[in-house]
Amino acid sequence: MKRYAYYLSCINESMTKEVDRSIELWQKDLGIEFVKLHEGTCCGGSNLDYVSPKHFALVNARNIALAEKQGLDLIVSCNTCLMTIRSAKKKLDESPELKKEVNDLLKKEGLEYRGTSEVRHLLWVLIDDVGLDAIRQKVKVPLKNYRIAPFYGCHILRPSAVLGHDNPLDPTSLDLLIDALGGQTIPYSHKNRCCGFHTLLVAEQESLNVAAEALEEAIRAKADFIVTPCPLCHTSLDGYQAKALKNAGVESSIPVYHISEMVGLALGYSAKELGIKRHIVC
Amino acid sequence: MTVPIDQHTELKQDVTFRIFRFNPQVDSKPYFDDYTIPVERGITVLRSLNYIKEHIDASISFRAFCQAGICGSCGMRINGLSQLACTTQVWEVLAKSREPALIKVEPLRNLPLIKDLIVDMDPLVDKMKHYSNWVDSTMPESSMGKKEFLISEEEFLRYDKATDCILCASCVSECTILRANKEYVSPAVLLKSYRMNVDSRDALHALRLAELVKDHGVWDCTHCYRCQESCVKSIPIMDAIHGIREEAITLRGLKDTSGSKHAEAFMSDIEKKGKLVEATLPIRTNGVLWTLQNLLPMAVKMIMKHRTPPPPPLVKSSKGIKVFRELFREMTEHVKQDHKSHKK
Repeated sequence: MKRYAYYLSCINESMTKEVDRSIELWQKDLGIEFVKLHEGTCCGGSNLDYVSPKHFALVNARNIALAEKQGLDLIVSCNTCLMTIRSAKKKLDESPELKKEVNDLLKKEGLEYRGTSEVRHLLWVLIDDVGLDAIRQKVKVPLKNYRIAPFYGCHILRPSAVLGHDNPLDPTSLDLLIDALGGQTIPYSHKNRCCGFHTLLVAEQESLNVAAEALEEAIRAKADFIVTPCPLCHTSLDGYQAKALKNAGVESSIPVYHISEMVGLALGYSAKELGIKRHIVC
Repeated sequence: MTVPIDQHTELKQDVTFRIFRFNPQVDSKPYFDDYTIPVERGITVLRSLNYIKEHIDASISFRAFCQAGICGSCGMRINGLSQLACTTQVWEVLAKSREPALIKVEPLRNLPLIKDLIVDMDPLVDKMKHYSNWVDSTMPESSMGKKEFLISEEEFLRYDKATDCILCASCVSECTILRANKEYVSPAVLLKSYRMNVDSRDALHALRLAELVKDHGVWDCTHCYRCQESCVKSIPIMDAIHGIREEAITLRGLKDTSGSKHAEAFMSDIEKKGKLVEATLPIRTNGVLWTLQNLLPMAVKMIMKHRTPPPPPLVKSSKGIKVFRELFREMTEHVKQDHKSHKK
């Protein structure tokens, strides 16, 4: 059983609780165990970095240090948390002065940021550590009747200098996971585009247009559902779907799943167990 | 050195360029023309286009000048990605191409099309004028030529990368928000604005920033990083956008915008609870009325699905919040000290 520290994203503790619930159901089936970091704090959601760059460094050095204390890698299931914490790590690793300033404070909590733990996405763990062959062997209900649109989202791909797992122009990891679970990936030009989440409260019309474009392409291609590795993309594409499509004059709908739910379905768990019924579009 | 003949053939192959064609004066809709030409290793997309124009079809229109990645004229979409034709190697594009020996060439997005691969750059120039993308000197005219402006190394480093921009508009073409609304300021203009705003020789900081925080300005960027990823000069454009936001909030106190209220909510929630209080985020960003008008139908659906974020009293603080808060506040003191010494 390989162990990891698991970062609790704010949105997965409030609106998208089904993400963590799904992971809890199947983690042991795949030979992995996620240890929840209850001491962790909000990463700053790609906003704290400019409101206060130093608090941004402190908060995320601490998040990583909590994993380092246990000698574990830090696993994240939200794209923006991933990008944000990895950006902070890069800044800390490149600046000995910043690292020292932050560590002088962390010392008071008995913590130290050393830079020894990797910060990785759940999707990367599934592909690189569990492995596609092992996943294939565990599949109980292959997704063979499903045409699936893979929506990667921005912050698992860009900036590539911070992320670096997939080619941001032609990502493949999510496609590979769908294939291992027996599903059929459809060609989807929006796969590496944006969902508009981060400006939903600031530039709502623009964000809804962005979400509608991604939804429309999947609907036109007759996909059965969209799958995303990010709960923020999920919220934009599922929660705001009715509004976005109404705005665009499209009379249709399409379910959106998080990868943790798609894995759960293929491993034999029911939609009810996985919390899929909590989605706005089912 | 003599290279055997068979190796010569490997260094040359037939490549099809599928070129976007549209002449609004003649055509009712756009179409693609295919041109297949032999291309040697080391040839750029621009040289291939020049070859096609000279030898096959003189009616193809595109803009190009320096052929060295300096003038920024030949921005176009090559196999879907906005880049310069003159610095893009055909063989490198082919190596990443899904269809063998085929390269699709299209005009930049988000700017009006003039003909074929040529777009109208005027909207971009108009925005640069609107956001005062030039240095207006702080030095009185009478002193000019008599005194020098001394710039510290530290200051220079702040805009060194931003000055590399050649206005090729690749970032403009890739921008998510511009695609949704053509009135948006655009990444290139934000980058130039940042470059001027961190220049101590400039007198227009306050004026420029006041314009940037208005509608369709700096707060509308959705952090997708497409601009930065496509920049032909590898400029960290998002750092510039974040730099403008940081200046607006921290140094100039321009906090009366939904963007800054939204951003500051993260800071205050982390200090209080270690967690984001999502239930009240729309109200804190846009007020009660906006929230009721815009989010009520969705909120009803969310309640029915037990999907609403918990109200503030029920948001559980991170474990060990008291010690964390002390560290957070101590860092606030560090930041205050930094600002004091920066002002000096």
